[in-house]
Amino acid sequence: MTQTMLSLRNIKKHFGAVQAVAGIDLDILENEFFALLGASGSGKTTLLRMLAGFEMPTAGSITLDGRDITHTLPNHRPVNLMFQSYALFPHMTVAQNIAYGLEMEKLPRTEIKSRVADILEVIQLSHLATRKPDQLSGGQRQRVALARALVKRPRLLLLDEPLGALDKKLRGEMQLELKRIQHEFGITFIIVTHDQEEALVMADRIAILQDGALLQCGSPQDIYEHPQSRFAADFIGVMNFFPVRRSGDHLLANDGGRVFADLDDAVANNSDAVAAVRPERLHLDVGKGENSLTGRVSAMAYHGLDLQLHLETPLSPDSVMVRLTADAAEARPLSIGDEITVGWAARDTRVFAA
Amino acid sequence: MTDRKSLYLMTPALAWLTGLMVIPCLLILVLAFFRRGIYGGIEYTFTLENIWLVFDPLYAGIFVKSATIAGTSALIAVIVGYAAAYAIAAAPSRRQPMLLFFAVLPFWSNYLVRTYAWIVLLNREGLIASVVHSLGYDGELPRLLYTESAVVVGLVYNYLPFVILACYAPLSRLNPEVIEASRDLGGSGWTTFRRVTLPMTAPGIATGFVFVFVLSIGNFVTPALLGGGQFQMIGNLVYAQFLTANDWPFGAALSMFLIAIMMGLLTLQTFATERASGARKEES
Repeated sequence: MTQTMLSLRNIKKHFGAVQAVAGIDLDILENEFFALLGASGSGKTTLLRMLAGFEMPTAGSITLDGRDITHTLPNHRPVNLMFQSYALFPHMTVAQNIAYGLEMEKLPRTEIKSRVADILEVIQLSHLATRKPDQLSGGQRQRVALARALVKRPRLLLLDEPLGALDKKLRGEMQLELKRIQHEFGITFIIVTHDQEEALVMADRIAILQDGALLQCGSPQDIYEHPQSRFAADFIGVMNFFPVRRSGDHLLANDGGRVFADLDDAVANNSDAVAAVRPERLHLDVGKGENSLTGRVSAMAYHGLDLQLHLETPLSPDSVMVRLTADAAEARPLSIGDEITVGWAARDTRVFAA
Repeated sequence: MTDRKSLYLMTPALAWLTGLMVIPCLLILVLAFFRRGIYGGIEYTFTLENIWLVFDPLYAGIFVKSATIAGTSALIAVIVGYAAAYAIAAAPSRRQPMLLFFAVLPFWSNYLVRTYAWIVLLNREGLIASVVHSLGYDGELPRLLYTESAVVVGLVYNYLPFVILACYAPLSRLNPEVIEASRDLGGSGWTTFRRVTLPMTAPGIATGFVFVFVLSIGNFVTPALLGGGQFQMIGNLVYAQFLTANDWPFGAALSMFLIAIMMGLLTLQTFATERASGARKEES
């Protein structure tokens, strides 16, 4: 389970003068569900295309199961890609689409037939085997594309924004479905997405890419709770930022108030920094943490699960977002214009160099 | 758009087609069932003779020959034209309009001039002969002009732009990810072409083929100029019935038969194109 199956070493890719990928090192483990997360232009799709064999790296190497596949053609890699556009063959039926990859392996007809039937069972589309792609809904096409790649039982399955074209509800269902299928088949998945929530929900590990470089790599929890840069903190979930200056063992905010955090040497004494705290770490029960902050409620949004407040505070020009659980919100009825004080623990404060 | 509005918009085209296409065709059809007058002209008595005469081995032979020449021309034009269209579609997209423009350029010059150009190239003292001789060969060259091959060459040359345009359309619309998907699933370049690219662009090939075939089988200028009267194609035969033999009824019968062949082919092609594009959507 914890064995490395895929290694990327110093992968670089230039398109003319443009550097799409700027030297990435990455190890993907056996059976892992791995997410490449980044905004458009971060190089995530280029990286995926290099893994599939559609782009050759300008420098660096890709090793799969100890074999160098950096320059291996797409049709000679035990790697399959599920395309963002699904790229189904419009002139073939669902069953023919799925059988195509097996026919390329020159498997016996009977085996192809039974494997296609099996996978149609898994994606619950057996009744649509003779349909053409343009007679399917978006969700059905997506499942056919998945089946077509999965049926080859690749060592590595690459998924390029697999849920991008689906509506929100279907996306939620498919997130769980993909995880189930990945577990069931025991195939390593690498998914490319710009949707941080999707990455958090599905992936065992996430790599955040920015401008072609690897910013941070770790478990969803690790990335969410311990972002190593302001960019990562901002990109994943919601984060409140406010400017501070380090003063010995604590930080000084704009209004002269003290902010406590577990400080390490990342920020030098007397230098500017940015403190950050997640909305759900802020509590109305001030006694719970070392830090407190007073502000006026400027907006409220009820989300069912929680109540989101916007606070105007002297700490920062941006409003501070507070996320109260349904219980906490019920215990203390609030309305816009109320002045409230929220508190949080020193260990929940993140500090980044300014 | 309302039915009334679209009727207004269609009226000029419909009037044009009815007056200059449908009615003349009907006249020709009717003509085919009359007898030829003794000194030319038409004798208005019903007969099926003209129709039977079309199937006379002499004329049926000319039909077969015409179909062979048209078929050969269409086949060559499709192979050459598809390759050219493929290359254009694969070129950087900003260069494609220019390449297409050049491919179609000869088409904007006069048909006769283009056909005469081949006479200049192919005749006994023509460009090809002088190039071969200047390279040191002084034997007798096989005859190039006034052969079936010359006719085929002329037809291919004239209709190639149609084929390039017809094949370019589906090739340029091809989603590159579909090609990549085939490679990704283990298909070699050739397999991908055979099983994905070719079937997906078949409608363009069919359109190009039928186009060249239909325009070639009824053509009478190219066979007259490049065939040099050595043999006849249906077009020449029809031409002769109306203008020299003065047998309008038989000319009409030949024309109807030709039109029937073309209509059959065009119907077949439309049908095939619709099938290929999956335009039929079945309800479950």
